[in-house]
Amino acid sequence: MSQKVGGTKVNTQRWRGSIVKELRRIHLYALPVLWSVFNIFCVYWIVMSSLKSNREVFRAPWGLPAEPQFENYSEIWQVANLGLELRNSVIITGASVLLILILCAPAAYVLSRMKFRGSGWLTSIFVAGAGVPGAMLIIPLFVIMSDLGLIDTLHGLILIYTTVSIPFSMFVLTGFFRTLPTEFEEAARIDGCSEFGVFWRVMLPLVSPGLITVAIFNFVAIWNEYTLALVFIQDKAKMPLARGLYAIAGSMIYTGNWVGLFAAVVIVMVPSIIVYILLSERLIEGITAGALK
Amino acid sequence: MYKGRTRLIVAFLLPATLLYAVFFAWPALQSLYLSLFEWSGIGEKTYVGLRNFRELLPILEVNVDSQFPFLHPSYRDVFFWPSVEHTLIIVILGGVITFGLAFVLTTVLSSGIRGKKFFRMVIFAPNVVAAIALSLLWAQIYNPRHGLLKNILLRLGQEELAKTPWLGPDRALISTLVAMCWVWVGFNLVLLLAAVDQIPQDLFDAAKVDGANPFQIFTKVTIPLIWDVVTIAVINFSITALRVLEFPFIIKGLQCPPQLYTLAIYNYVLGFGRREPIWRMGKAAAVAVLMQIMVIMLILVFMRLFRRETVEYS
Repeated sequence: MSQKVGGTKVNTQRWRGSIVKELRRIHLYALPVLWSVFNIFCVYWIVMSSLKSNREVFRAPWGLPAEPQFENYSEIWQVANLGLELRNSVIITGASVLLILILCAPAAYVLSRMKFRGSGWLTSIFVAGAGVPGAMLIIPLFVIMSDLGLIDTLHGLILIYTTVSIPFSMFVLTGFFRTLPTEFEEAARIDGCSEFGVFWRVMLPLVSPGLITVAIFNFVAIWNEYTLALVFIQDKAKMPLARGLYAIAGSMIYTGNWVGLFAAVVIVMVPSIIVYILLSERLIEGITAGALK
Repeated sequence: MYKGRTRLIVAFLLPATLLYAVFFAWPALQSLYLSLFEWSGIGEKTYVGLRNFRELLPILEVNVDSQFPFLHPSYRDVFFWPSVEHTLIIVILGGVITFGLAFVLTTVLSSGIRGKKFFRMVIFAPNVVAAIALSLLWAQIYNPRHGLLKNILLRLGQEELAKTPWLGPDRALISTLVAMCWVWVGFNLVLLLAAVDQIPQDLFDAAKVDGANPFQIFTKVTIPLIWDVVTIAVINFSITALRVLEFPFIIKGLQCPPQLYTLAIYNYVLGFGRREPIWRMGKAAAVAVLMQIMVIMLILVFMRLFRRETVEYS
């Protein structure tokens, strides 16, 4: 960019110039900086509070804990059986996301790439589900699930999460499939590829960004879901983490064990934040792709 | 080959369609049907016609003892109208706050300031955390004894303001709404910012050369060019806000007070109760049906309001 001789000098000047430029519009930074400071401070505050004693939370709200109370964590971990809940969450979320992809990818492919009678309105029916409030489903669904003996079971909840994720997933996936050019398909057919082969070897790899978007998005939504779990899971041994946190919140508020509650919130929150820091670009791209298509 | 194709279509569509029909479409239709019955969840259903709806919408209830039957309903549901009011406050006021802030942040972050990606990431972050954890966090922020807000206000010397019961009966809804907007702004910011990023820079430059001020650039250049995304964002927001449940449901502890009832919460309470079940499944279904009607109406209204010729920039 700059000449080798005197390069440092030019760079310094440019650097100084850009500082002046940024200072001139410093007012623009006010809102985003305040907002970010608040968000980061919230995380700091809740982590610090979770390491304090109940008395310290009240007396010394700002500082670091005098002596980190790691037993807050071990206590809540055992009392609320968080290990088991973590396992339930992993099973439920993993299985649901996998099922969503297995069911929706082929269906979206057929609906968006093959024209047949009714393909248009079938797509609309799938996508229209996004406008149906959960309230329309829970009571009849509760009856159906009771009849099938699926209340208080992990596979029952997996079934429900998979179903309610269909509208959004179909919306995104049909959008991705529709944008693919037809040349690849035709070339593969001419080369003697079977119908299934066209889908599996040619089209599916081409929509992998869409599959990843759907997977991440549903992962976040299902991992964090608690209201459907509240209706369908009462058995403590079957609760996923977010549902378990609801149960803990109930008892903690009455017993006044704030630090235990803080610790539980941190346990639920921190894994999401870590995953997010690693995958945020992907996730944000995904949301955008869904809306801009 | 044609036969293979039909087989493939059936095989690929059947599993998703079956699951969707049995566990989504069928229950939704059943809610419509159930709303015409009185039912406790077990045993016989009693057909009551539109009685559930009349209970909710007293205007439909004709009180034969009154001189003005339509003005003096014989029965008024104590919780339904407040739930409608709260839900509408969340949709309308929440929408104004959310999109107001999202637009301001979009403009600021797309003005070429440094750290755009970082700010976007941090402001969006609450969207990946469980709503239950966030509402517990906000319950602690608002806590009258050791809350973050109280401590901040004390630091600023606002002794009187620090005593405000933020989650008290008159303020609980607005305080909860602030917390929800804090999450929603991040989501809509990401959508709007992505749309603005797609606008070619020379259009902004041309407007600047022509002497447009930042406000004019925003209303005359930015908004028209991202109109489609704004429409999607607003429709998505109103559906989300209309059926909101998670945040207000838990912020005051396990007993959600009537001051925080939204339609979705009232539906849940009618069906599954707060502590003791109420078991009015038919009436709960009627609330759900009214919610569905509101969603459809909102979508139609927005489609109409937002219809406008798309401006192309390519």
